[in-house]
Amino acid sequence: MTALTDTTHPPRKPRSRVWRKLRANPSALLGAVLVGFFTLIAVLAPVLPLPGPMETDWMAVRKAPSGAHLLGTDEIGRDVLARMVWGAQASLLAGVVSVAIALAIGIPLGVAAGYARGWTDAVISRGTEALLAAPFLILAIALAAFLGPSLSNAMIAIGLSAMPVFVRLARGQTMSVMTEDYVESARAVGLGHMAIIWRYILPNIFPPLLVQATLTVATAIIAEASLSFLGLGQQPPAPSWGSMLNVAKNFLEQAPWMALWPGIAIFLVVLGFNLLGDGLRDALDPRDS
Amino acid sequence: MVSGAHMTESTPLLQVTDLSIRFAGVPGNLVDGVSLTLNAGETLCVVGESGCGKSLTALALMGLLPMPPARRMSGQAIFEGQDLFDMPLEALKDIRGNRMAMIFQEPMTSLNPAIKVGEQIAEAVRRHKGVNREQARARALEMLRRVRIPAPEKRLDEYPHQMSGGMRQRAMIAMALANDPALLIADEPTTALDVTVQAQVLDLMRTLQRETNAALIMITHDLGVVAEMADTVVVMYAGRIVEAGPVRKVFEDPQHPYTIGLMSSMPDLGPRGGRLVTIPGVVPPADAMPEGCRFAARCPFAGADCAAAPPLRDLGDRHRVACWRAPLEFGAPDLAAHPAAQGAAS
Repeated sequence: MTALTDTTHPPRKPRSRVWRKLRANPSALLGAVLVGFFTLIAVLAPVLPLPGPMETDWMAVRKAPSGAHLLGTDEIGRDVLARMVWGAQASLLAGVVSVAIALAIGIPLGVAAGYARGWTDAVISRGTEALLAAPFLILAIALAAFLGPSLSNAMIAIGLSAMPVFVRLARGQTMSVMTEDYVESARAVGLGHMAIIWRYILPNIFPPLLVQATLTVATAIIAEASLSFLGLGQQPPAPSWGSMLNVAKNFLEQAPWMALWPGIAIFLVVLGFNLLGDGLRDALDPRDS
Repeated sequence: MVSGAHMTESTPLLQVTDLSIRFAGVPGNLVDGVSLTLNAGETLCVVGESGCGKSLTALALMGLLPMPPARRMSGQAIFEGQDLFDMPLEALKDIRGNRMAMIFQEPMTSLNPAIKVGEQIAEAVRRHKGVNREQARARALEMLRRVRIPAPEKRLDEYPHQMSGGMRQRAMIAMALANDPALLIADEPTTALDVTVQAQVLDLMRTLQRETNAALIMITHDLGVVAEMADTVVVMYAGRIVEAGPVRKVFEDPQHPYTIGLMSSMPDLGPRGGRLVTIPGVVPPADAMPEGCRFAARCPFAGADCAAAPPLRDLGDRHRVACWRAPLEFGAPDLAAHPAAQGAAS
């Protein structure tokens, strides 16, 4: 009985469709290459054949790029390439860790607000709005100054400043997923709140959060560079692109390369994350297949 | 003395008494004094047009009505000896998906797109039966097989979007029946499916019902489905039951003018002759429900007495009608010849 006419679709997971669309998008690919490149050198920093980033050479102060020092040297004879490579580590770490902090706090608050509604939502939303009222960078600077200057405090400050955006996004997405039929059918099966949140809400609000997280990494890298530039982030002599720029501004005429390389690096890595984020947004958009 | 397939055990499986539901900001009851009785293994079809309160009734039984804005004004629903409306939410959650399960209208959106189908079914099993992952998975596989999904081993690890609508509805049925519920509520389970798949799914539901002896409440607006499935039929109009009884009685001898109108507005197979009969007028809006019979404004037989609400009266053989004109002494009147307006004015 019941002859089946259902056609069998070729098994194709959503992830593979996303991956295909991502690869077909040249600017997303460029973004991925840039991010991949900087990640690679940041990871490989300890094993690259370079002088130590804090090794000074008084015989080679403010030397222009040459065979011995590919990107030149700084005002106390440190190899700029080595500092660039180690600085990449600080920048990427700051970007990723601060966004992780923002996600770790923002998602639970946002989901709680969107799921529970009522006064829980009111309290969380008003708090979020208060934080959003302060400009992102000003808030980060104020928090970093309050916590004290160090790279880890800068990450916390940036993470907390970026958090409200994720609260909002997670709240809105949760509310929209809550109206889906499958959440009602989960309730009809007798599942409890935690099971519904873990299995039904979180996986379905994940894509937009991923896009936002990627784009926020770019913002966080700029924020870290800004804080380091102001002396609130990575502390000298440890290298960071922001603090390198801060020193370099005093030697713009004598040694322009000192400012040029960190500036280019920040530009490229931020561009990379932005292109990748935009590409992810397009790839994860179910409207065009 | 009674006709019909499964009759009168001493206590019914589900006994709903005088259920009324109201929504915030709407003066009238959207479900008004609904009572239903359902025995084990029996199929009850609730028919009526959109907005007549049939889905609200089903959701209220499952405890899935959002309250607020919805509010239950009165009513009891004794299911297996317990009042569904008067138990803590946690107790209700233990019954939902376990003793009582629901199938929704939209198979395309009723499965979580982020989880494999097999896992979703297994999750429902693990929630209620103290079994481990492998046992739940084995049960999910068994259920997929029972709903006749081809290559169930493979389908178990697929995502909903890899399945067609008919297959997803089968998966929903598998999930609903996974814990052997005593009562299955299906809210227009075939409306979203195309006609051939509809027939297969109905056939499947009937077969499974016979195998499990589950009682079924089927919400539908399709009289064809009613004829196919029901032991008992309940016709609702604007939140009230207007007619109820064994399906054969109601189909052969409909008594309420609304039921008669529904029957004659069904297209039949065969040569087309003339226009389909329609019931003139529209359902009164929820905020302007008339005091008396809610159908009076559209009824060709309405008179002054219809300003008072007619009670649901038993005409014998469990055939109940809420109409002052019942029992009608003539056959189905030719509604097409009676523009509603003429009778309604008085």
